[in-house]
Amino acid sequence: MRMSRKMRRTVLSWIALAPLVIAVLFPFAVMILTALKPAGEVLRPTWVPSEFRWQNFITMWGATNFGTALWNSVYVATLSTIIALVAAIPAAYAMSRYRFAGKGAFQQFLLVSQMLSPIVLVIGLFRLVVWLGLVDSTNSVVIVYAAFGIAFSVWMLQSYFATIPRDLEEAAWIEGATPWQALVRVFLPLALPAMVVTALFTFINSWNEFVIALTMLRTQDSYTLPIQVFSLVAGRYTVEWHHVMAATFVATIPVAVIFAWLQRYLVRGLALGAVK
Amino acid sequence: MSFVSSARLAAAASALALMAGAAVADIRVTVAEYSSLTGPFFNDAAAAFEAETGTKVNIEVVPWDVLFQKLTTDISAGAQADLSIIGTRWLIDFASEDLVAPLDDLISDDLRERFVPAFLEPSVMDGQLLGLPVAASARAMYFNSDLMEQAGVDSVPENWEELADAAAKISALGDDIYGFGLQGAEIETDVYYYYALWSYGGDLITAEGTSGLGTQAAVDAAEMYRGLIDSGVTEPGVTSYNREDVQNLFKQGRVGFMITAPFLATQIANEVPDLNYGVAAIPAGPDGGRGTYGVTDSIIMFENSPNKEEAAAFLDFVFGHDWRVRFDSGEGFLPVTSSVAEDPAFAEDPVLSVFASLLPTARFAPTIAGWEEIAAIASDAMQSIYLGQVEIEPTLSAAADRINALLP
Amino acid sequence: MKRSLLVNPYVLVAPGFILAALIILWPLAEIANIAVHDVNRFGVLRGYVGLENFRVIFADPEFLGALRRTAIWVFGIVAGSILISIPVAMILNGDFYGRGLARVIIMLPWAISLTMTAIVWAWALNGESGMLNSGLRALGIIDRNVQWLAQASTAFPMQILIGILVTIPFTITIFLGGLSSIPDDLYEAAQLEGANGWQVFREITLPLLKPFVNIAVVMNTIYVFNSFPIIWVTTQGGPAKSTDILVTYLYKLGFQYGRLDDASALSILMFVLLLAFTLLYVRLAMREEKA
Repeated sequence: MRMSRKMRRTVLSWIALAPLVIAVLFPFAVMILTALKPAGEVLRPTWVPSEFRWQNFITMWGATNFGTALWNSVYVATLSTIIALVAAIPAAYAMSRYRFAGKGAFQQFLLVSQMLSPIVLVIGLFRLVVWLGLVDSTNSVVIVYAAFGIAFSVWMLQSYFATIPRDLEEAAWIEGATPWQALVRVFLPLALPAMVVTALFTFINSWNEFVIALTMLRTQDSYTLPIQVFSLVAGRYTVEWHHVMAATFVATIPVAVIFAWLQRYLVRGLALGAVK
Repeated sequence: MSFVSSARLAAAASALALMAGAAVADIRVTVAEYSSLTGPFFNDAAAAFEAETGTKVNIEVVPWDVLFQKLTTDISAGAQADLSIIGTRWLIDFASEDLVAPLDDLISDDLRERFVPAFLEPSVMDGQLLGLPVAASARAMYFNSDLMEQAGVDSVPENWEELADAAAKISALGDDIYGFGLQGAEIETDVYYYYALWSYGGDLITAEGTSGLGTQAAVDAAEMYRGLIDSGVTEPGVTSYNREDVQNLFKQGRVGFMITAPFLATQIANEVPDLNYGVAAIPAGPDGGRGTYGVTDSIIMFENSPNKEEAAAFLDFVFGHDWRVRFDSGEGFLPVTSSVAEDPAFAEDPVLSVFASLLPTARFAPTIAGWEEIAAIASDAMQSIYLGQVEIEPTLSAAADRINALLP
Repeated sequence: MKRSLLVNPYVLVAPGFILAALIILWPLAEIANIAVHDVNRFGVLRGYVGLENFRVIFADPEFLGALRRTAIWVFGIVAGSILISIPVAMILNGDFYGRGLARVIIMLPWAISLTMTAIVWAWALNGESGMLNSGLRALGIIDRNVQWLAQASTAFPMQILIGILVTIPFTITIFLGGLSSIPDDLYEAAQLEGANGWQVFREITLPLLKPFVNIAVVMNTIYVFNSFPIIWVTTQGGPAKSTDILVTYLYKLGFQYGRLDDASALSILMFVLLLAFTLLYVRLAMREEKA
């Protein structure tokens, strides 16, 4: 049988990727199968449920307060990403275009700030949040995520911005555009892929963050998804595993969807940015 | 602005000011999450309390595993609630920092007398009542009647020797079936060992004030457990099974005997009601010694609460008979108030009456500061022993040395 | 040309810097403060003790064990994920049917919170009730249940494997970016000269990928060094502390034993360690680039 080159490459590629694909899909399989088992069967490690209880997803929604936690996660991740980018984009622009005193120090600060584990900082952070009067408010989490997000975003964006040639903006200046117009009409469109990628990174980090949310949020009404799922498992005398798995599965869908949609930007965005 | 409208404005402003001044204080309560019923229970009680008194109660539900961490961070920032559930064994850590408000003057005699005295005692320090018992359990041995019958075990084992025999017969029933479920991971790993330690006549703290792990009884008890593991009558990989995992095996009908609290009975009733099981006393040692672990959680009031009166009123409310019946039966706890203990739902319950009968021999965790670290040292020692990697006596005496360094 | 306020670099940098500095430096200062004092378990300062807390940490045998295991943990995950990601990225860079789907699948571990991943794996790895064992037995790969989490010899490699799986998406993303920045003419020229696949890889791909490998090493080392949920949820650093790394040891010190002063000293130590490694590595890597 004659296979086209692409077809042969397809077969070989999938065979080579198979172990990794299986390892990656394994936890998802565990999740969805456990989520669909009837409550009494959950404890047994069977691979095929005796029946597919799709209504577990519905009961999970109510039993785990999923809707509220989902909304909180969406609110926190979106807002912190927006704040982080609004602060980071101008800063990255300045870092990539200008020389100024303190630029080197700021760069060091950004890298170093990535090294601090939240567990290390959490007590100090908590006292700060109490001082600001924001305990149990999702806004406390927003501010903390935004701050860490800024550090990461500036670092990423500035290296990408540095690769956008100044000549294009200068050409626009020569033609009479103000710096502002040059920025918006020439620079931003070129910078868009990088900004989208950075926004995605920041969003995901905020969406999945655990330790800080665990410390700052106290009532069930303000829990984000990771904390809500964790609270279903930690220290309870009875753990309802089918609900836990269903909740975990549903919590990953939004992010997986964003991934699928934006994955083509991911490659281009990091292509030139990461090196510097 | 004309005179009339500004007068109206002034009237409105002063009306608002009056309303603000007349508003009743809110109180915050930190609650440990035992199960999916805990949150709804307290929220319902809070709503009913608000309807009756107008005081709003904010319930903060915290998973048990991180409760201590949460309280630590709260207190370090002065942000703790008015009331909080704590493990009674933590009370000394809190009390020694003057964080806990004495309740003697804040609660009525009526409320105080509702409690079974034995449960009130652990919360009394220096003659002051520092907390009210909110949850209590003891431990007993669950047995699977079907497995016993199949294996030809006629009577429930009374001591560890009989248990070893019975467990061997049950394990022989099949590859997936194990005679004795032994917990070797996570919280209360050390307690699972203490059941044996007490039955051999050992103590957590000896009369001289040193760690009980340094005594001969400790070595004998550990050897007995190791014997059970080595002869294959326990589940394999003991050090990866926490209490919930062992309970899962029991619920699957794969374990003959295991030791745990009343809440397993509630779980079995909800999840696997066809399981035939019973409850009996924890096996005795060669000299007939027995012991069970009594655990209470207390609800305390923090000293810096600005709303002590309202908080005390909420305590009075939530310890009402009907609320306690709902809480205790829902969570599978032993009644701490006499009225509930005498309630037919509890007094005649076959499972709960066994637990209640064990209370006279119940031992509680000693109230020593830093017990968490001591428990961790003991658990680690037991894990090494269960893995069979170490000699028992040196390991136990090394652990005893470390514990002695921490004891007052 | 007039410099408007808009293009003043300090104005542009200020908002970001202020917010980040406040959130990051303030707690760091707190920790440094606590680290040189004796504190009670609730963070109330009791007395200045200089470097005593640091001495306590160094003298603790658990510290050395945790340090050693952290080195193994970091090396295992970072090296493992890079070794797997390079070939996988090259495959994904080629054109084949279903490439988009393959990319999405391999990125999926990134979509789940690390804590949830750990919870699912802990559940699946249970010796008697876990689906990994039942699956492996059904496939005939093993005939007895393996008690994965019962001892460090099986638990730690498993934890490293999980760490590798969750690190691969980020690493592959970086490498894909790197691969796509290599100009096609280089490959065409090599083909014309008759180079085989291995030579192409060694002479063209690998050297041009090197800066990206360096990025991956630095960033992943930082993330993995401080990574808490995987080990905590599966074994809590046990049994008998045999899978403890520095960050789980830190958590126990601070939040279970209540020794906030020692915990703060440890966290400063961890930070210094990581900083030292990063600076050292960057310097070595930069030197190569200059040459």
